[in-house]
Amino acid sequence: MRREKKRFRENYPNMSAMYIRVKRSKTTYFLQCDPTETILDIKQKLHPLIDQPANDQRLTLVETGEVLDDSKTLADQKVENDAVVALTLRKGCVL
Amino acid sequence: MRKEDTVKLISAEGFEFVIDKKAAMVSQTIRNMLTSPGSFAETQHGEVTFPEISTVILEKICQYFYWSLQYASGKETEFHIEPELTLELMMAANYLHT
Repeated sequence: MRREKKRFRENYPNMSAMYIRVKRSKTTYFLQCDPTETILDIKQKLHPLIDQPANDQRLTLVETGEVLDDSKTLADQKVENDAVVALTLRKGCVL
Repeated sequence: MRKEDTVKLISAEGFEFVIDKKAAMVSQTIRNMLTSPGSFAETQHGEVTFPEISTVILEKICQYFYWSLQYASGKETEFHIEPELTLELMMAANYLHT
């Protein structure tokens, strides 16, 4: 087991510490991230996946209903591993 | 994250899960689907539909993929499974060689 783990670590040296689930309508995006990343970083990661720029996206933490602030980090806003985050888009941007 | 590094898994009800390719590769079956030679639609578009796997189970499976990567990189947490999901989850795991 130990050797298997070591081999795995060599194959995937930069496995992030956590992931979040970003949901919108019927789609869920699993995003690898780090507690120190800001919400803006997350939005930029979403950009290529959904073809919507960061400032047209709004992320809400489903558990509390809080709208997440671009400048704050995931840790600041208590977004933990496996958290569900809802994605909404600015009006006029059809996905 | 680049689009090419992700795959889309689609459940019986048509819900889509976009996950890292390397997470999906935890499943031997998906790995084979995505890497087999010849130009299969699955390989090209990175989309796999599972008409036999329900949304709840497929989401659990995706969570498992990520958990398994985290576990393998040294983070020893438990993976929680709701008792009512176990049977269906085992059948899916058997199919996916996970």
